[in-house]
Amino acid sequence: MEVTRPALVFDRVGYAYQEAPREAVSDISLTIAEGEWVGVTGPTNAGKSTLCLLAMGLAPHFFGGRLKGGVTVLGKDSRQVSVIERSAEVGLLFQNPFTQVSGARERVDDEVAFGPECHGVARPEVEARVAEAMERVGIAHLAARHPMDLSGGQLQRLALAGLLAMRPAVLLLDEPTSQLDPAGAAAIFDVLAGLHQRGTTILMVEHRLERLCELCPRVVAMAAGRVIADGPPDEVFNREAVQERVGIPVFTRLARDGALPRPWPVRVGDAATAFAKSIA
Amino acid sequence: MPEIRLEDVRFAYPGGVDVYPEPGLTLALGDGVTALVGENGAGKTTLTKLLIGLLRPRAGSVTVQGEDVAKATVAAMARIVGYSFQNPDDQLFERTVRAEVSFGPRVLRKPVAEVERGVAWALEACGLKGREEVHPHDLGLSERKWVAIASALAGEPQVVVLDEPTLGQDYPSRERLRSLVAQLADMGRTVLVVTHDMDFVGEACSSTVVLSEGAVRYAGPTAAAFADRDLVEEAGIEPPHVTSLARRLGLGDAVSERAFLAALGR
Amino acid sequence: MAGGLSLYAEGTSLLHRAHPLTKGVLTLSAIALAFIAPSLWWVVGILVVLLALVTAAGVLRRFFAVALAILLPITLLLLAVQGFANPLNRTVVFALGPIVYYREGLAFAALAALRIACLVSATFLFSFTTRPADIAEALMQRGLSPRMGYVVQSALQIIPQTLEMAGRIQDAQRARGLETQGSLPRRARAYLPLMLPLVLSSLVATQERAMALEVRGFGLKVKRIARYEFFDSTLQRALRWALALAVPGAIVARVAGWR
Repeated sequence: MEVTRPALVFDRVGYAYQEAPREAVSDISLTIAEGEWVGVTGPTNAGKSTLCLLAMGLAPHFFGGRLKGGVTVLGKDSRQVSVIERSAEVGLLFQNPFTQVSGARERVDDEVAFGPECHGVARPEVEARVAEAMERVGIAHLAARHPMDLSGGQLQRLALAGLLAMRPAVLLLDEPTSQLDPAGAAAIFDVLAGLHQRGTTILMVEHRLERLCELCPRVVAMAAGRVIADGPPDEVFNREAVQERVGIPVFTRLARDGALPRPWPVRVGDAATAFAKSIA
Repeated sequence: MPEIRLEDVRFAYPGGVDVYPEPGLTLALGDGVTALVGENGAGKTTLTKLLIGLLRPRAGSVTVQGEDVAKATVAAMARIVGYSFQNPDDQLFERTVRAEVSFGPRVLRKPVAEVERGVAWALEACGLKGREEVHPHDLGLSERKWVAIASALAGEPQVVVLDEPTLGQDYPSRERLRSLVAQLADMGRTVLVVTHDMDFVGEACSSTVVLSEGAVRYAGPTAAAFADRDLVEEAGIEPPHVTSLARRLGLGDAVSERAFLAALGR
Repeated sequence: MAGGLSLYAEGTSLLHRAHPLTKGVLTLSAIALAFIAPSLWWVVGILVVLLALVTAAGVLRRFFAVALAILLPITLLLLAVQGFANPLNRTVVFALGPIVYYREGLAFAALAALRIACLVSATFLFSFTTRPADIAEALMQRGLSPRMGYVVQSALQIIPQTLEMAGRIQDAQRARGLETQGSLPRRARAYLPLMLPLVLSSLVATQERAMALEVRGFGLKVKRIARYEFFDSTLQRALRWALALAVPGAIVARVAGWR
């Protein structure tokens, strides 16, 4: 029997930023298998972004600070690998579309090529990867445009293409759609669904609980720097602690306020079924 | 009595196309809470800037509280319109929350008593009580947004414009926002909320204006805003989650949770 | 102007296609020679050559619009002031009321104006025919570190982005009632509310950019692969050497008495 190695392991991880009085995350233990799509959510300052920074290695390499415990990504300890070394296998998409563009390229396709070029990839290979990445995110028709002419949603897709050109095995996303309009957000989620189908491991921080429940088979709920629940969304959002400290999708709240029996549904389809049953 | 009135307004950015095509934008808003929705690029932000005089119309008239915006300075409009921008970091610069929130009324040279009163109310309504002496940059993004909103309210303006106030906010924050705009509506103020958050629109805004490619496609009660599905699709918006569920159950077009539960008979 | 700051004008002339280094050397040596050459006619000669190149590059009209806007006021000012105030003035040429104009001053002004015209022409010739990205690429192919190359290439986009940020901040503060125009005390009061958010937001943006760059592997010590090849030739190489040597050669000639 083949044992697949986990993609990400957090082993009793604690981390405090430099000069911070308290840890941003404490005692985090999580194992994420290859190919999983895990959603992370929680109130502000729950440590969700820090989790992404730890997985990428920006914490502690970029931010300094104090790291306890072990973060192992694709078999390598994050303390031993620099962020730029990680960049060949792990990508991180941030919230703000505008600051992720290199600013040094005048064409969209040149921008997507930036990452592979930094890695010294040969020219023909670079071109193949660029074409593939632009196709995946749906911006091939924008190849000749200047990055600064793009809208926020298009820029975010460009940033994602830039990461995909590296063909990462693990993709981290820190609220990738929070600054986009619904159409822009939908486009990003479509790309992610495609990547998930192809086996990319995805760790995604997302506020929109309804989306999270639709897309992610597994949800990690965090509050005050700790993991308070970890499992399928139906389970997680039926926990009292999560309901109080993190929040619940609209459908769950309606089920609760509509006096439906537990466990409460978290997705629109299940909610429709549950309510239909109760009306009948 | 419409507090905000736009008539046949035309505007184009330098070197750009007309934001509002022929015959121009016409809209009238009264007191209460109105949501302004539409895709990015539809002309929402341009509209709000026209209201405060940051932009001047090429043609047509913009009147707020009877003031013709074309004839007033931005500073004069700032007395009537409290504007909270999308990115709080575009305006925060003072060393304490209190100083930041009181900046507007101080710059407008309001009497001290008025300033104190306005600031106290704003801090309370925005959940910042107890944080007055904190440095705004020591606050998280969510709280900084609240500081920006409080700054817009401290001058006790008759008209309040909030640009994407729910971005990055968790549920308790959105609830506080809902109760805040309801309070403002009770006080007889005119509130305009530019947002993509349709759930918030359904819960907190009694009227909705749908803008698409510079034209007003709908202006009326929120309850009926999502009824025309073709319109919704063309305008690039989506109905609130509660509405999707209500439709699946054949319960009509409830836009708020309360309306849904009422339709259910609970 | 789409995208970043740039004077670049699309074109396929010989000059457009020439190696950026050739154009760089041409520009610098033309400027140096214009200032070293001793008399009016030499400088006129250099200017004529530059203008011929501008024409060959197909950017004459654009060039005139921009160059005239800069050169006309400077030239008039020089003539007006030097013509009557130059200490070497002796020979009267004409008088405008009480102000008398002398030949020596006018000649001095003409020489200075022509040298400046050469400077402006050479600089614009370079800017109109060379993509900014190409300058950095050419330098990096010759050994400039990728970090420095990035600084050059990104400045052109980041400057307009920063200006946009400044505009947004100004809008936000004006919407609170802050007056940003008018008397000096008024503008002084507006300084902190405008500058502080700009500085802080720029620092945050810089940090975000730095993180995003690392995440893409910027800074990896790999052998740099040229992104594209420039058109170079023996003729261009010879030209670069010739021009580069002409400058110290001209200096020596001046010292030796070239008049």
